[in-house]
Amino acid sequence: MGGIPIAIAAVIAAAAWLLLREADRARNGAVLAGSIYRDLLVATAERDRYVIAPPADRRDTAQRFASQTLRARDDLAALAGVARTPEQAEAVALASQTLEQYTAQMRRLTASTERNDRLVREMAERATVLTGLAEQARMRQHASNADIVTSLTEKDRRLRLIRDIVDKAQELRALVAAARLQAARLAEDGRGGAAANDRERGQAFARSQLRNAVLDLMRALEAAGRKDDAVTLGEHLAGLDAGGAAAETALVEWCERMLKVDDTEQRALHEELAQLLTYSVQANETEQATQNIAIAVLKLGQRTSEALGKRDIEAVIAIVRESDKLASTMASLPISPLIQTEMIDAIGEWRDRLFTTVSGLREQNATLWDMDRSAVELTEGARSLNDMFTGAADRLGATIRTILFVGGSFGLLFGALAGFVVARQITRPLRRVQQSMIRLAEDPASGGVSDSDRKDELGDMARAANFFVHEIVAREGALRDAVDRADAALEELRRTQATLIQAEKMASLGQLVAGVAHEINTPVGVALTTATLVGEEARQFAEEAKGQQLLRSRLIAFTERMSEGARLLTVNLTRAADLVHSFKQVSADQVSGERRAFDLRTWLNELLTSLGPVLRRRSLTVDVDCRPGLTVETYPGALGQVLTNLIVNAAVHGYDDGCGGHVRIAVREPGPGRVAIEVADDGKGIPPERIERIFDPFFTTARHRGNTGLGLHIVYNLVVQTLRGQIEVSSEPGRGTTFRIDIPGTSLAVAPAEAEVEAV
Amino acid sequence: MIDAMAGARRRVAGVAALAVMLLAASAPAVAKTLVFCSEGNPEALNPQIVTTTTGMNAGRPMFNNLVEFAKGTTTVEPALAESWTVSPDGVEYVFHLRAGVKFHSNAVFQPTRTMNADDVVFSLMRQWKEDHPFHNISGYSFDFFRDLGMPELLKSIEKVDDRTVRITLTRPEAPFLANLAMPFNVVLSAEYAERLLTIGRPDMLDTQPIGTGPFVFQGFQKDVTVRYRAFDDYWGGRQAIDTLVFSITPNPAVRLTKLKAGECHVMAFPNPADVPKIAEDPNLTLLSQEGLNVGYLAMNTSRPPFDDVRVRRAVSMAIDKAAIVAAVYQGAGTVAKNPIPPTLWSYNDAISDVRFDRAQAQRAMAEAGYPSGFDADLWYMPVSRPYNPNGKRIAEMIQSDLAPLGIRLRLETREWSEYRRELQAGTPALALYGWTGDNGDPDNFLNVLLGCTSARTGGNNIARWCDPTYDDLVNRAKRLPDRPAREALYRQAQEIFHDQAPWVPLAHSVVFMATRKGVKGFVIDPLGRHPFDGVDIVE
Repeated sequence: MGGIPIAIAAVIAAAAWLLLREADRARNGAVLAGSIYRDLLVATAERDRYVIAPPADRRDTAQRFASQTLRARDDLAALAGVARTPEQAEAVALASQTLEQYTAQMRRLTASTERNDRLVREMAERATVLTGLAEQARMRQHASNADIVTSLTEKDRRLRLIRDIVDKAQELRALVAAARLQAARLAEDGRGGAAANDRERGQAFARSQLRNAVLDLMRALEAAGRKDDAVTLGEHLAGLDAGGAAAETALVEWCERMLKVDDTEQRALHEELAQLLTYSVQANETEQATQNIAIAVLKLGQRTSEALGKRDIEAVIAIVRESDKLASTMASLPISPLIQTEMIDAIGEWRDRLFTTVSGLREQNATLWDMDRSAVELTEGARSLNDMFTGAADRLGATIRTILFVGGSFGLLFGALAGFVVARQITRPLRRVQQSMIRLAEDPASGGVSDSDRKDELGDMARAANFFVHEIVAREGALRDAVDRADAALEELRRTQATLIQAEKMASLGQLVAGVAHEINTPVGVALTTATLVGEEARQFAEEAKGQQLLRSRLIAFTERMSEGARLLTVNLTRAADLVHSFKQVSADQVSGERRAFDLRTWLNELLTSLGPVLRRRSLTVDVDCRPGLTVETYPGALGQVLTNLIVNAAVHGYDDGCGGHVRIAVREPGPGRVAIEVADDGKGIPPERIERIFDPFFTTARHRGNTGLGLHIVYNLVVQTLRGQIEVSSEPGRGTTFRIDIPGTSLAVAPAEAEVEAV
Repeated sequence: MIDAMAGARRRVAGVAALAVMLLAASAPAVAKTLVFCSEGNPEALNPQIVTTTTGMNAGRPMFNNLVEFAKGTTTVEPALAESWTVSPDGVEYVFHLRAGVKFHSNAVFQPTRTMNADDVVFSLMRQWKEDHPFHNISGYSFDFFRDLGMPELLKSIEKVDDRTVRITLTRPEAPFLANLAMPFNVVLSAEYAERLLTIGRPDMLDTQPIGTGPFVFQGFQKDVTVRYRAFDDYWGGRQAIDTLVFSITPNPAVRLTKLKAGECHVMAFPNPADVPKIAEDPNLTLLSQEGLNVGYLAMNTSRPPFDDVRVRRAVSMAIDKAAIVAAVYQGAGTVAKNPIPPTLWSYNDAISDVRFDRAQAQRAMAEAGYPSGFDADLWYMPVSRPYNPNGKRIAEMIQSDLAPLGIRLRLETREWSEYRRELQAGTPALALYGWTGDNGDPDNFLNVLLGCTSARTGGNNIARWCDPTYDDLVNRAKRLPDRPAREALYRQAQEIFHDQAPWVPLAHSVVFMATRKGVKGFVIDPLGRHPFDGVDIVE
């Protein structure tokens, strides 16, 4: 009989072991989920960096993004393997789907960005072509200017020579005319009989003047390289020397013809000079215009890359409009025809590309927006996965605990029954003997061992009595042996119970570890990510600082990011430290089961921290109303379990799924050395017909959800037996339920108050 | 301060990054642009409505004809018509059109079909029929079409099917095929015309031309440029150059300066004085050819004083043509005595030129009743022409020559396209002008420039000379199929011309063109055309 409880314990242990393995698995899932969460945070940050990175650095960022998301995908695949429930599998599938969507969006973004980057690059190339063309035009113009100067000099020289010839020819013609006039006048004067000497002298003077003029013109013609004309003129001079009016007439005609030719040439040269000068002025204007255009294009290019960098669609559209204007300016300016079409084309293509980049930017911005939404979904998904797997671990822990309790109770019950049966088997014959002995002792006069010699039944009985009387001494030893055996069995039961209690405590601890591990995981994970990002940011910033590319705005952004990082690190690490502290305390209490004095308010807060995941999952908020500095001395482990059970009970039974609720823990001091703790929820309440039974073991309304119905029973037992207090429940359907625990808080809590009173 | 510096540094870094990017990426291929330094503004861009070679040359890159002259010759060859047949009586021409010939497109027009018979019919009908919706747009008249007597010559133009056109003449016409090869017989898009009617802009047919030619019209800025782009779908294959620009540069000295500087690749008509320098320049190529041209002084015979043949003869005798040719043409021209160049068949060399004789001229003036002369206006071209390198200088020399007759000349000029209009309107009393043959047929000179048909406002008969005997001769000659018979009539006509002296023929010139050394495939053309198809730049 004594082996059965042991077997039960073994079965329970095996079940617990199996379940612990499952819980372990769930915790692994939680760890994976946490790692996915981190990877996704990093991927999101890489995406942000990709967007702001210079085109040359985008590839690296995109690769980092790809490797992060790939890791997250692998982890999600692994997580799918760990998933036990359809709910989990569904959540994992959903997260995978969202991740696929996210990476697809990133691919779209990358494609669009690359397209835009290429366009920007082509635009830059266009700008260079334009400036190159402008430079070529300028060089050509310089060469041309030098050429114009040569032409002008040459033409000017010719002009001077011709002017000289024209002047001299005109002078000669005038002299011939004068000479003929004088000759005519002299002929008339001669008839009047004037002085012949004067006439002679005058004619000689005129001839020599004419001769000199002819010689001057000959020299001028020779200087101009017109030897033929000079020779002709020499012939005319010879004729003139020979004398005769015919020679003079011939000279005049020759002069006039030459004058006609040279005069018109002179004017033509004038015209050419004027045109060349006009051209050189125009050419200069052209050069200026071309340079201005090139500069305008360069400026536009710079503004464009800035606007594109800032993803400022409005600014880009404004630039598109400006480039339209620039193109029409180009068409109207006197730009070198050699490059004008190309420039107009270049600006046109530039404009078209810019226009395309606007739609590219729009598309990118839309993708970015989608990605941000996906990112929120993703991280939320990862977080809820984390919660889900942690919750699963929690639930498994709870199940283990329940099984241990149920199993333990069955074991105890069965053990007690077995003990009773054993005891009865031993005591029944003993009682008969005892009755006989009593009877015998009551009636010794009946012959004592009367009828012992009778042959009838009585004789038999007497004989039997006598036999017993005789035997009684002999039997006493055997009796003592049996009692000893029963004692041993009971002792064994007690030992089993202790083992069971210890096992239950360990299960509870497991739950605690899982809870705390999860709680710590989140802040440490966030802190780790933040630290990585801060480090990366700092490295990048250092590089920029080295590269002297720092802008004030960048510096401000950096310090803001650093402060934000520091704040995140502080908040999360403080939280992790708090958690570790709480855990230390709570676990110590649960394991030791010792009675100690503690600050109730602080302790309550620590307890609630360890319950965080459960509360969050159920959207339950808990607030504590306890005066600061209230110290109690009691069993914190037991009290912790009581409060935990009450809160979990409220969370599980008090509300419909997902509607959330509020629990208020109020601590009162009803009398010296006593503490009353009220746990009040604002949930559905308990119907009156059920309220009588809620502390009964195995009473539950939620067995279909895996509840055992032992939670409040355990609470009752712990309050009454361990804490030596009372528990009351009041409830109003629709208004909520209030449990009131009244426990002794020892004199320690009272003593200072009394001292205070005394001090007054 | 720090911010400003950081900003500057960032900019510098940005520019540097840009530069690096540019070095890394291969720059887009630079477009091949051929710039032609042309001599003047085209009066229009549609060859149907122009009469100057400047206008024709500006229109030429965009269009094709049914038949065209082979480059550099006057040989007719197939173009938009792949083949043709002529009826034995010489009045019915059937043209078989090339398939798959595409038209250009522009901002308002995208062709939906290839060239077909409708386009050919439209292009001729538009010029022919006065009630055609495109006949009376934007105030243009189709002078060439009329000067050649096309309205009377044509009997019908029919579309036989999409790719066959039948043209019936009222009489046999020897130069008909050559006339079809002339610029005014380009083929326009009927579909484009339809489109323009729908949008209410029929004027665009002439200002925004759509053709089938190797280059697409890009823009015309008066006094500055005409721009074209290579037509990717040209039936004759895409051109090697991407962009063609006519850079309008009236002064030959400036043209030469631009050519030497590389601002243009081809220049029209260099100053004869500069020819030796061009020939010496290692970077330049000089092209020359005896031109099929004549430069002349036209005397307006429609009103006094030049309605009197004695006055015209006096002027002819007083002008020292030898001095002009020597000074202005500088050896690149010969003195003209007939209205057609000596290289053209039927040139009457038996005619002896009017002798330069001032005294005789003075006597003739006195006989005509102008012993003390008169005042008159002499118009000269503002631009150099192949037949006249410097109109102004010639005008000044004529002014000087006529002064002894008491003829006081007032020199006038206008911007080139306006000049032509004024001349064709009969405004000047005396005008310098000239002609480059379009088709290598004497009719193209003797009839177009001196026939009665052309002696009207808008016509090419600047002298407004209409001599019935002469006109009968050239019109008869046109209808005769065999050359010797025609030649006889033309020689007779030249005698009448010599006697009646409506012009003073001045010179036949050698045409010069200059290109940069890298220009390949540019051919100087006896008809004064500047064909840019097949031209490339290798530098």
